[in-house]
Amino acid sequence: MSRNAVSLEAKNLTKTYHRGSEEIAAVRDVSLSINKGDFVSFIGPSGSGKTTLVHLLGCLDNPTSGELVLGGRQIFSGNGKQLSERTLTGIRRDVFGYIFQNFYLIPTLTVIENVMLPFTFYRKPGAGKDVMGLLKLLGIDHRRDHLPGRISGGEMQRVAIARSLVNSPEILFADEPTGNLDTKRSAEIVQILKDLSKDSGLTVIMVSHNLELASQADRQFEMRDGGISERL
Amino acid sequence: MRRGMLPFYTAVAVFFLIMRLSSGPAWGAVGCDLNDPARDVKRLFPGSTGFKTVEIELRNLGGTSVAARVEAKLRDKLHGLYETINVPYTVYIIYANKKKIGYIHGVNQKGRYGGISIFLALDLNQRIKTFYIQKMTGQYAGKFRDAKFGSQFVGLTLDDFEQYDVISGKTTGKVSRIRNPAPEAAQEFKYILRGTKKNLLFVNEFLTLSPDLSLKKKEPAK
Amino acid sequence: MITKFQVAYKNLLRKKIRSLLTLIGIALSAWVLVSLLGFNHGFETALDRDIDNMGFQMMLMSKGCPYEAATMMLKGGTGLKYMPESIGDAVRKEPGVEQITPMLMQAVFDPNKGESGGIAAYVGVEPQSFGAMKTFLKFRQGGWFKQADSYEAVMGYEAAELEQREVGDVILIPEKNVEFKVVGILSRTGTQDDGTIFVPLRTLQKIFGKNNKLTTIGIKVSKDADSSRIETKLYELPDVQVVSLAQVKQTIMSLVSTAKVLVLSIAIIAIIIAMVGVINTILMSVHERFQEIGIMKTIGAMPGDIFQLIWIETLLLCATGGVLGIVLALVLSRVTELVIRNVLPYSPKGGLVLIDLNLILFTLGAVSVIGLLSGLYPAWQAGRIRPLEAIRSGVDG
Repeated sequence: MSRNAVSLEAKNLTKTYHRGSEEIAAVRDVSLSINKGDFVSFIGPSGSGKTTLVHLLGCLDNPTSGELVLGGRQIFSGNGKQLSERTLTGIRRDVFGYIFQNFYLIPTLTVIENVMLPFTFYRKPGAGKDVMGLLKLLGIDHRRDHLPGRISGGEMQRVAIARSLVNSPEILFADEPTGNLDTKRSAEIVQILKDLSKDSGLTVIMVSHNLELASQADRQFEMRDGGISERL
Repeated sequence: MRRGMLPFYTAVAVFFLIMRLSSGPAWGAVGCDLNDPARDVKRLFPGSTGFKTVEIELRNLGGTSVAARVEAKLRDKLHGLYETINVPYTVYIIYANKKKIGYIHGVNQKGRYGGISIFLALDLNQRIKTFYIQKMTGQYAGKFRDAKFGSQFVGLTLDDFEQYDVISGKTTGKVSRIRNPAPEAAQEFKYILRGTKKNLLFVNEFLTLSPDLSLKKKEPAK
Repeated sequence: MITKFQVAYKNLLRKKIRSLLTLIGIALSAWVLVSLLGFNHGFETALDRDIDNMGFQMMLMSKGCPYEAATMMLKGGTGLKYMPESIGDAVRKEPGVEQITPMLMQAVFDPNKGESGGIAAYVGVEPQSFGAMKTFLKFRQGGWFKQADSYEAVMGYEAAELEQREVGDVILIPEKNVEFKVVGILSRTGTQDDGTIFVPLRTLQKIFGKNNKLTTIGIKVSKDADSSRIETKLYELPDVQVVSLAQVKQTIMSLVSTAKVLVLSIAIIAIIIAMVGVINTILMSVHERFQEIGIMKTIGAMPGDIFQLIWIETLLLCATGGVLGIVLALVLSRVTELVIRNVLPYSPKGGLVLIDLNLILFTLGAVSVIGLLSGLYPAWQAGRIRPLEAIRSGVDG
């Protein structure tokens, strides 16, 4: 797999909302291309449309118009056709792993059960052969039988990362992953994401309002009023 | 959720209420219970305000040895089809304002024409307060069920019956002063005294084994 | 790997009190349902057994109210009108009548029975014809009296126990002061015979001055005979009442059904309310886990998976509640019986509440179906949650 293979390509992505009679374009005509193994960050003030854009890129939402190609597979073809939740889920579970600011671990399940939870619904062929190795890599192997309530915030996010990775996604999607963590833990989590993209060729898309952390990424996009510009 | 459950519990409560209200008198049960405990207890134990019913089965108390001790003191066998260890006994614990003040206990004694149900109301020292024959068949039953006859038993204890021989009817002391109101029915008179002694013996056994009649205590197995 | 079942089960343990309360609701309604259906089944069985144990299918009585006659007959009643013994000959001539047995019931008031006195009842029978009809009667001690005019008695099991009688003892008819020698004690039958004292017919007639009088004639109809035709024919006899046991059964069942309808409607209400409770609980738990469910969808759960997950939770609650309810019903069936006996004007002896495997399976099935139905809406709601909304409802919005 060459480092320069295109992982994600968006063309003229647009998402508009209606508030009363007013039409608001949260994302306006965004085109971008992300290569496999890139660690990309999106920054921008709130209301800039970065979250909406990232949801479109992460197939969590349908665009109003525009095209999206994932790993050579056309997801949105630009005809404005809305995909069903089922179809989107089918795409997502093959391509993406997600982590969020609120870690969303299931409080009744232990660390290892949370990490293995995706297999309850779907197991990508060949995925999840070395879950313990993954826990070790993320430094949470000694917590495997703890309930989420018993571990620290940094550890919880590591569990969430492990959970997002068990099904071997191509793209890891991190929405404000450090929003609930202190500076030291935040730096650690970003370092993990960085290492993952470098060492395993995982594409990482991170949304953050923290400029310092965002600057750790290989490429940085800045959103403003629904438009996008790359910081070079 | 709790809001949702409330009507359900109400429905269950109503169900039981209906069941309660419509329950009439039960068919007479075989055994030696008071026919109408609420009314009978009040009458037999003046001054009582309430009672608790305790069912006792001999086999839970180490059956045969209790029976053996009673037989030894009765100086007669518990015999026939009906004096077996399967017979349930009922002791009514009597209260006055939450304070225990005594017991009522009944036994069935075989009489000439049928079972004689002999109830004794006893104070805490197992001294007879009231003597009552609930049921008896025969020409002289009325005389024996008369309060005048029963009053002769008041104040007697198991000790007074110690010397009473249930077969010959011979005795000394206070028991010998009990007068038979129907001299023609000497055998019935003896049956009644035997039943009374048996009654006192069983209550004494029950209270010795388990003073509060909780009956948790079992005799150690031999 | 963790299964959906485990996920569902662990979630129910999250809010233990809530799950428990819901469980109790279901258990109670399942209990009412099982007891009720068990009663339905048991009562009819017990009634049939009672009727079979009568040994005859038809009774002839002097005219009176049939309801009264029915209850009196089954309770071993008294105070009936009399008919001449000669009527038996007419009955016997009727084609289809296989056998008859004449009976006389009498009762006296015994002031020495309990505080306010009681009734002592006696049934006069012909030892040959009665014994032949009730072949299922077994003796614990002794046997039938041999003569129709001897002063001997046969006692039912409970009557003997109450009076502490054994073969060789004597009994006395109060008021009349006539002694009878006990010659037989019957084994327990579980029918009204247990409480009955049988004496020879002629003797009883003589004591009570009812020579050649009867209260009842028991009629055994041959198997292939048309009993409704015989019934019609017997009605032609003067001043008699024909009580066919099929008719008695019907009367009693209709009395019972009134009580049943009442309880059944309560049971149905209980079930509906329990169902609402389940829907409420599950719906609430779905709302509380809105984000969790959304996140499950980002890690690969299809709407169907979520639907299943929630359905399993509901089913688990209902099935557990159902099992608890059935256990409760089994443990408390004696109590239920006691309650029913007190409610109904007449109930046959023996087990009234019959809970068999079929009934248990049926109830479990019914409760599960109720569970599945209750789970439908919450599960559908949960399945529809979109991950995007779940995430948006989080902190950053």
